Amino acid sequence: MKEITRAAIAIVIVCIILFGVNKYLNQSSGNASSDTLTIFNWGEYIDPELITQFEEESGFRVVYETFDSNEAMMTKIEQGGTSYDIAVPSEYAIEKMKEKDLLLEIDHSKIPNLSNMDPYFLDLAFDPKNKYSIPYFWGTVGVVYNPTLLDGQTFESWDTLWDPSLEGKVLLVDGAREIIGMGLNSLGYSLNSTDEKELQEATAKLKELTPNVKAIIGDEVTPLMINEEASVAITFSGQAADMMWENEDLDYAVPQEGSNLWFDNMVIPKTAANVEGAHEFINFMLDAEVAAQNADYVGYSIPNAAAVELMDEEVTSDERFYPPEEARENLEVYKNLGLEMLGKYNELFLEFKMSAN
Amino acid sequence: MEKTSKSAKFYLALVFIVLYTPILYLIFYSFNSGGSMNSFESFTWEHYAAVFSDTRLIMILINTVIVALLSALIATIIGVFGSIGIVFMRNKSLRRSILSLNNVLIVSPDVVIGASFLILFTAIGVKLGFASVLISHIAFSIPIVVLMVLPKLQEMNSTLIDAAADLGATKRDILTRVIIPFIKPGIFAGFFMALTYSLDDFAVTFFVTGNGFSTLSVEIYSMARTGITLTINALSGIVFIVTLLLVVGYYFVSQRGKNPVGMGVRK
Repeated sequence: MKEITRAAIAIVIVCIILFGVNKYLNQSSGNASSDTLTIFNWGEYIDPELITQFEEESGFRVVYETFDSNEAMMTKIEQGGTSYDIAVPSEYAIEKMKEKDLLLEIDHSKIPNLSNMDPYFLDLAFDPKNKYSIPYFWGTVGVVYNPTLLDGQTFESWDTLWDPSLEGKVLLVDGAREIIGMGLNSLGYSLNSTDEKELQEATAKLKELTPNVKAIIGDEVTPLMINEEASVAITFSGQAADMMWENEDLDYAVPQEGSNLWFDNMVIPKTAANVEGAHEFINFMLDAEVAAQNADYVGYSIPNAAAVELMDEEVTSDERFYPPEEARENLEVYKNLGLEMLGKYNELFLEFKMSAN
Repeated sequence: MEKTSKSAKFYLALVFIVLYTPILYLIFYSFNSGGSMNSFESFTWEHYAAVFSDTRLIMILINTVIVALLSALIATIIGVFGSIGIVFMRNKSLRRSILSLNNVLIVSPDVVIGASFLILFTAIGVKLGFASVLISHIAFSIPIVVLMVLPKLQEMNSTLIDAAADLGATKRDILTRVIIPFIKPGIFAGFFMALTYSLDDFAVTFFVTGNGFSTLSVEIYSMARTGITLTINALSGIVFIVTLLLVVGYYFVSQRGKNPVGMGVRK
């Protein structure tokens, strides 16, 4: 009995000490100010130095939390019990959150740095006049490939993926919108198509791709491409940039027929406790120097024209990641197709997946 | 016996290789200056330095340990008294149903438990954070502790208690001097099981974290979105080594505790 009591007391003491250490770290890392700002962002999606810098400049203490999917993030915000002041959902999630009335309107007068933004990325269909959201990063969906493992293919057209020489080599991302969208694009249709006939055609065409499909996977695609265990993959531009950083042989292309243009945007959830601080943070992130530093760290493309000026020429002139306006004409942003149509997409994607096995 | 022991040793070695190779592989690359797990370039401590310079990560690590220790401790206390209650329950059918309910909680998926807690906490207006994580960890650890302690209690001969009572022991004496020393191994086993459950739980924790409180499993999961960086390797390496030291420490402590007379009944 004595031994058990002693062990229990030891545990309690250890916990108290750890609590103390945590308190101390908390105070030394942040400001003594009681105002906190809670940010909910994707994993590894900000330069940690910038958080410190923001804390010093604004006097707020930043609490930073991460999520891994729009759906998870939305569930947590919808359920309440948390008070996130900033979240960074993708465009289709913003539409859904708007519908569910989860967002606060953004007061543009408190964000003077909005003038730094490239107007091309403002006032888009998913959030007219940027009432609820401010762009954070953007990118495309395209093909990352390893020329050393291929016989000279380039991926200017989606149809190259159907080439018989790629048998069993193509990795696909496990997303209904991305893959059905690719099928639609390869036929020259819009990736927001709701036309039954076009969707059927796209699915039929995708089924012909099955002999070439190596696997349909998620984020595991990065190590496979880096380690040269696969030669072609459909992926997001930021992910492609990561891979190319690790393996210089890799190349990235957005096929000409068109592809998806995606955005991750900053929003202020209805449950926010520090709306003032949230605006201040958004304004801070739009500062040219800050945005440039963040883009350097994260590696995705930024919609901030003033920041692009400050960045390394070599990066911003890379048309694979900063496609010029003409090239963007073929790119489309996902529209919210409604629950029923999304169900249809998922069904068709499942059909394709089953045929791929 | 001599002949079989050779193949047995080989088998054992094989099992351990399978169990430990991935961990050693991971730790090996945490010293790689190359920045990825592709090829080993040269030895470096930089990933460990990165872990220690990231206060946020350290705080999350400490949070994880606090939650694990506290939840295991509380769950052990509740679980031990719970199992004593179950064993001495007169009504057999009630006892059986309580045991079944206990087992249901062990086999039910973590996602279900996590989602239920999220709904409960938000319904009654509990802020998500330290308290919500602690409560749910205690909750899912209790059934495990019960399962670890119960066999020990059933093993105990009831004449032991009768004898103690005949010799004039009060109820309190019987509990602290007879029952608890006897089931001590079960209590420690339950505590350590609860500790590991809490340390590596992702599914439940994911639902109930919030407001700046996060644990390692949740953090690593979202970090892995952009590929595993070697910082994660370094962090995992540290956790592994610390766990190893704790187990070794526990082993020596328990070895020492075995010698004195009167510590439980030897079988």
